[in-house]
Amino acid sequence: MIKFKNVTKKYGDIAALSNISFEIEKGEFVFITGPSGAGKTTLIKLILREIFPDSGEIIFDGINLSHTPEKEIPEIRRKIGTVFQDFKVLPERTLRENVEVALAVCGINREEWKERVDKILELVGLSERAELFPSQLAGGELQRASLARALVVNPKLLMADEPTGNLDWDTSDGIMRLFEKINKEGKTIIMATHNREIIAKLNKRVIALKDGKLTKS
Amino acid sequence: MNIHLKTAVDYIKRAPFQALAAVFVLALTFFVATILSILVYSSGKIIRYFETRPQVIAFLKDGASPEQITALQNHLSIDGRIKGVKYVSKEEALSIYKEATKDNPLLSELVSPSIFPASLEFSLNDLNYAEDIIEEVKKEAVVDQVGFTANLGSESSVGNVVSRLRTITLYLRLGGGILVGVLGVTSFLVLTVIIGMRMTTRRGEVEILNLIGASPGFIRSPIIVEALIYSLVGVAVGWLTSLVIILYLTPSVVNYFGEIPILPRDTVGFLLLFGAILGGELLAGTALALLGSMLAVTRVKRGR
Repeated sequence: MIKFKNVTKKYGDIAALSNISFEIEKGEFVFITGPSGAGKTTLIKLILREIFPDSGEIIFDGINLSHTPEKEIPEIRRKIGTVFQDFKVLPERTLRENVEVALAVCGINREEWKERVDKILELVGLSERAELFPSQLAGGELQRASLARALVVNPKLLMADEPTGNLDWDTSDGIMRLFEKINKEGKTIIMATHNREIIAKLNKRVIALKDGKLTKS
Repeated sequence: MNIHLKTAVDYIKRAPFQALAAVFVLALTFFVATILSILVYSSGKIIRYFETRPQVIAFLKDGASPEQITALQNHLSIDGRIKGVKYVSKEEALSIYKEATKDNPLLSELVSPSIFPASLEFSLNDLNYAEDIIEEVKKEAVVDQVGFTANLGSESSVGNVVSRLRTITLYLRLGGGILVGVLGVTSFLVLTVIIGMRMTTRRGEVEILNLIGASPGFIRSPIIVEALIYSLVGVAVGWLTSLVIILYLTPSVVNYFGEIPILPRDTVGFLLLFGAILGGELLAGTALALLGSMLAVTRVKRGR
């Protein structure tokens, strides 16, 4: 599903990632872990093609992201559902509309929207909150809203950047159970986190980074 | 409602005064454009009216035989510079005179058909030919005198009237064109500034849409739809306002100009004229919106 081959990314003189290589198979649940500044977010940004590697190759779903032209980036991103630490929900749209936007972006037929949104909101436990605006939702609900938006288009890969970073333990636990359930249904998940308790509890593969170098894969 | 249309409407609702400013400027532009179009149409009609009046009258000698008259009439009819050749007999000349002097019957009682010469009346395709044609017709054996039609107001001939009208129309077109151009550029700039501000306030939303895989077209669509709404509402308001004003003024204007058809007299013709103007303005409005929004989007993207 994803292959990093000798990937290096520098910000000025500082190497965010140095000569990283690993492979993630379809259906895997992988934690990317490491202290702050280890390169977790850089790795996610590279997969989303927000940034370019300075050297090396990143292959996603058979596509070499290092050579993908700009105009094909949206199509690649539509195959990846991303859950952001700061949620990145549209503040002036209701929860339902936030999820619908993802369907519109992917060009899903409008007639399917209601059924798909209802189903996904039920999965993340937000059916009752569908018509509320983000400002009316709690942190955990926003994180689940972000997850609902990522999942509704049935992406090939689900990525989460510190999805429990801003949440209390109970809420984090609920979110993680949801991710586990989704993974059991066959979805590939990459999750960047430094929360050791979560990593220990789920007992999944861990790719550890420190100062931009791979310490465990 | 379409997602792009909904986004555009939401943004308009959120900044109603910006929307009002854009619609007001655009409505003013299209109001002036509609009025100017009607003025150009009417002035063209006035010119055509005067151009198609009999401009040259060849008075025939009393002894001219019907064959000679027919021959001259045929000769003039096939001349490409001349149109509408018409024979006016002595009797017809008298009845025209009587019609013209019906307010004073005494004048018509004193005359008989014999004092009016028969004539051939015709118009010219271009008044520049007048001098040459008059000289040529004067040389015809059956022609006694040749003259332009009677004076009109302070003008010495129809030619002068048409010439003056042409000048007025030219100034009207030039001045009106410049005015509409200035207003058009103002509208374009206002639209570009407002759309640019919208793009700036949408930066966060654009970033999120980018990350979830929205194409540039998807991101641009609400902006373009918003610009189109401003433009089309501006066209509708400007066009409707001028239509109402012109409908209100039409009876007095038509009455003032009498038989000169400055506006179509039938409803279908009137609606067709305004429909054509509306069609043109809708096209111009759409072009303005597309260009303005594209420019604003490009500028904001470049500024990032």
